[in-house]
Amino acid sequence: MDWSTIIGVSLFASGVQLAMPTALAAVGETVCERAGVLNLGLEGMMLTATLAAFVAAYYTHEAALGVLAGVLAGVAVGALKAFLSVFLKTDQVINGIVIVIFAQGITAFAYERLFGGLSTQPEIAPLHDVRLPGLADIPWLGPVLFDQDALFYVAAVVALSVWLLLFRTRFGLLVRAVGEAPAAADSAAVHVDRVRLFALLVCGALAGLGGAVLIVGDISLWGPNVTAGRGWVAVALVIFGRWNPLLVLGGALLFGITDALQLRIQAASGGTTAAVPFEVFQALPYVLTLVVMVAATVASRRSAQPAVLGIPFRKGVSE
Amino acid sequence: MRSTALRVTVLLAATLALAGTALAGSGGAQQAKLEVALVLPCPTNDGSWCQQGYVAAKRLQKEGVIDLKFTSNAPQDTPGASQVIQRYVAGGSQLVLAHSAWQDAAFSAAKRFPNAPIVYAGGGKVGGNVSTYEEPIYQPAYLAGMLAAGITKTGVIGGLAAFDIPLCHAQMEAFKLGAKRVKKSIRQITTYIGDWNDVAKGKSAALAAADQGADVFVVCGGGPASGLISAAKERNLSIFGYVGNQNGLAPKHMVGSLVYNLYPVFKAIVADVQAGKYKGKVYDLGLRSFTFALNPKYSAGKIPPAVMKQMKATQQAILAGKFKVPYIPK
Repeated sequence: MDWSTIIGVSLFASGVQLAMPTALAAVGETVCERAGVLNLGLEGMMLTATLAAFVAAYYTHEAALGVLAGVLAGVAVGALKAFLSVFLKTDQVINGIVIVIFAQGITAFAYERLFGGLSTQPEIAPLHDVRLPGLADIPWLGPVLFDQDALFYVAAVVALSVWLLLFRTRFGLLVRAVGEAPAAADSAAVHVDRVRLFALLVCGALAGLGGAVLIVGDISLWGPNVTAGRGWVAVALVIFGRWNPLLVLGGALLFGITDALQLRIQAASGGTTAAVPFEVFQALPYVLTLVVMVAATVASRRSAQPAVLGIPFRKGVSE
Repeated sequence: MRSTALRVTVLLAATLALAGTALAGSGGAQQAKLEVALVLPCPTNDGSWCQQGYVAAKRLQKEGVIDLKFTSNAPQDTPGASQVIQRYVAGGSQLVLAHSAWQDAAFSAAKRFPNAPIVYAGGGKVGGNVSTYEEPIYQPAYLAGMLAAGITKTGVIGGLAAFDIPLCHAQMEAFKLGAKRVKKSIRQITTYIGDWNDVAKGKSAALAAADQGADVFVVCGGGPASGLISAAKERNLSIFGYVGNQNGLAPKHMVGSLVYNLYPVFKAIVADVQAGKYKGKVYDLGLRSFTFALNPKYSAGKIPPAVMKQMKATQQAILAGKFKVPYIPK
């Protein structure tokens, strides 16, 4: 086996590309879970955003507007989730799953309505083909901004900002307070439900960005269930990253790069004819994630999970 | 006032409709149309699996052979799909074409409606009034492999598949055997990504194989196929389309498409039902139902004329029944 073709710059690039949509959604999920809302609708948020991004980019021929539409669609689903979980106080596990099923149905339906008459599969111009006159010609900065690997910097900046938001700002303090002790926060005149609403909108925006990146930054087309379970992986990554945005980003990258690695090992070892069955490689990202999670949990001993995760806040009712 | 006008309109429309039916009925000397229901697991415009089924059924409807009702995006699970099939049978459909690997759903529906002709896709068990139609994609894949051997500059070709199921496995093996028939030294890299829908992962897998030198690809699965198209444009790869005629999606890169043509299949099933000859059996039309469509606009590589000639001769031999493509399901 020729290892030099397996491990290299392109491994990192394709790993980052596989990881980015999941990473952004997972960092978003960290925010709302820190506020005490378990958002299992993440897959639905991402999926809705993928279609919104695709439709906007298709009709306006502007990939950047696709990204914006994806973010807005994510925020809209975040608002729906907030309406169900924060204001109606329905069961968060159930309403999350409902959102995913709803999104799967509505996106497939809308896509068929919008593009059903076309004889070929519609496509959009990918982000890296878009050249803003002047900007792309700036030395160094131009290529970085318009290179696909620039996604890594975007995600890193986002994760760092979310970390700063959570741990270095007043808003972050409020988010963590309503996730750990909502009754105490309430007695200190914090509007618990309002903070949770904002946390869900931030989560929606980031999940939407993740969905948009998948379409506009990578594959340029849309198909039913195009997110293929990335939202669920992102929910698991939040636990993996112990509700810390930077660790969550690290986990997402680890998962993505291992996934890219297993595809490359499969290719290099001759696929099905290899001595080691390819299923072993396919399981690699999941096994590695599980091992790191167990090791990290055992090592730190203390649970990092927000105390009231998944429990709606009712004023004057003790939990 | 308005409601009166509405009532009059409705009455008028109803009268007209009645008159129309009566007129049509009076000329009804020819054979009655067969009430056919088509159940699809995906949208009718997916450019692939469901579109092929839909287009074939629509054509029979246009020809006046059948009356078509259809459901797209039907539930994939056995109880869900079985419900949809049963609803059509109860509603008077004389033939249900369940266009997915719905063997269990077909048999569960047949338990309640043993006399209804129910046909599912992909091959498997048959019995009673339950039939299936084969999906012999390995046959055109063999022809594609022959061309791939002529096109590749590196001597490495690629196979990209969703899952290691008999359908995909046989296709990948046939592609390899076809290539080796033209050039013994060809090496094939086959990657299984483990998902039918994941476009991004399909693309990533294709790029990984391309890094290993693969420059001509065949694919099994809708998601991987879309990913492969995207990868082909990025790396100037030569590829083959999957299930639908995808030549137009990447005109420069598509050497040709492995096209599932369901029209002759559905036509044969409908004819059997209409003639009263229908019983549970396997419909397999080989290379007539899974055809090989060359792309005249292909320009990413060169197909040596000798290889093209050899491929066409093999195609004729298969159609004439003189050559059998090896079927290696695992």
